[in-house]
Formats: sequence, C-alpha cells, structure tokens
Amino acid sequence: MGKNVLLVDDSSTMRKIVGRSLRQAGIEFDNIYEAADGLEALAILESKKVDIVLSDINMPNMDGITFLKEKAARPAIKDIPVLMISTETGDDIIGEAKSLGALGAIKKPFTPDKVNEVLGPLL
Amino acid sequence: MADELDLENEIFKGTQDVFSTMISVELERETFNGQNAIQSNLTSMIGLGGGICGALAIHCPAAVAKAITAGFIGMEVEELDEDVKDAIGEIANMVAGNLKVSYAATGVNVELAIPTSIVGDKFRVSGMAEAKRIVVPMKMAEGLFWVELMYV
Repeated sequence: MGKNVLLVDDSSTMRKIVGRSLRQAGIEFDNIYEAADGLEALAILESKKVDIVLSDINMPNMDGITFLKEKAARPAIKDIPVLMISTETGDDIIGEAKSLGALGAIKKPFTPDKVNEVLGPLL
Repeated sequence: MADELDLENEIFKGTQDVFSTMISVELERETFNGQNAIQSNLTSMIGLGGGICGALAIHCPAAVAKAITAGFIGMEVEELDEDVKDAIGEIANMVAGNLKVSYAATGVNVELAIPTSIVGDKFRVSGMAEAKRIVVPMKMAEGLFWVELMYV
C-alpha cells in the first residue's frame, strides 16, 4: 500500500510547487492531499490515511504552531509525522515546532534536492 | 546593529535568491531614478512587525507578474487571476523571510504577516508620513519590477 502526503499552506501556488518538487525529487505518493490552514488539515487527518504532513507556519485561521498543538491533543492523529516548510526558520519558532512534535523544517525558498535531502530519510 | 545593514543590497540578494532557487531566473539590479518610476498592475504586500514596523511590497507590470507565475506553476498564464495574486504574494513572503534572516543576524527580530495582493491600473501605496522608503528596481526578460520597503 502506497503512502499519502498532506500539504498545508494558505498559498495554492506553494502547494503546487511543493507537490511538483516532490515529483522532481523522485518522491512518489499515491495521494497528495491539500489544506489551506490548520483547521482544514485537522479535518483531513481525521478522515483520510495520511503518512506525513508538510506544513507552513504563517497561515490564517489556524497557523502551523496551533495546528501542531491541536494535533498533539488528538490521540488518533497525534503520531502522524509533520515537517515544516516555511519562511520562518528562527531557532525560537522552529524550536517550538519541534517541541510540539515537528521533525524538522525546510526553509522557503527551496529546491527539489533540499526537499529530498530532508524528507527522504523520514519516509 | 541593524543600521549597519545595506538594505538595498539585502533586498536584492534576498529577491535574487528566491528567483534563482524557485524559477531559475537571474535578476539584474537597477538604480531607482526618475527614468524607472514604479509601474504596477499587481502589488503584493506583507506587513512587518517586531523590531521594525512597516511593509514590504512587490510591484509588477502585468507581463512580469504573469511570467513569474508561469515559472512558478509551470504553465502559461493569460490574465491577472487568483494564481497570479497568490504567486506574487508568496514571492513577497519569501523575500520578506530572507530580509527577516538578514535582520536576525543583527539581533533584530522581525515578525511577518500574511501577504495581500492588489490588482488594478490606478492605485497608490503609501506608508506612514515618517516612514523610510527603499525601492529596488530589478530586471528580468519580461521587464522591470520593483521591491519596496517602507518602515519605521
């Protein structure tokens, strides 16, 4: 059975770019689900089988940090791994994300090679 | 410390990094003068807070905005639609993110808001009366665009 990924970003363009970067990096998923904020992401995680989440931090409605907190509080989805993809790469905010369970972060802008370097070992 | 930043250079380097990394486009930097006043059909802005307060804006003529978006999403773009507003907004987000990194190296923390895009033929973007203003024109094959920082 193949793997499924959830891309969380308020920019639909960025979701397309991340999806394309995954393909260019040779990382294949059976399904690429998309969410525009943390609220939509939680709803998808609770209704679909998702193997890994790639999430922005600065988003309207529910940002990436709040999404991590909410996810951690829900036993059925709390163990699904999350990698942050964001312009936010300060030690404080990435440290907070990691303390809430994020596995790491990719800084925007990024190349497919960078996505492969960080994401590849997690799959 | 932050006063030591060459903001024009940091803005150009940060923008060049975004374009070369994301759409493999190399930019030429121009000097802002009376011959290259801002001409925009689409402006994307992102608010800045924390150690500096203001906004970073990217001003694009239609042809440039469409070309950038086409490079981003990998298909031709016919009009200034939602994809174009979203793509230029994301460019503004990443350029501001690189500027945030530059400021962080001087000990200044900058917070970023969510980008906003405006489409139109006649509009003006104004900052606070006492705001400093830096405009960096940049050139790609389809023409000039401008990155503007307004801050106090």
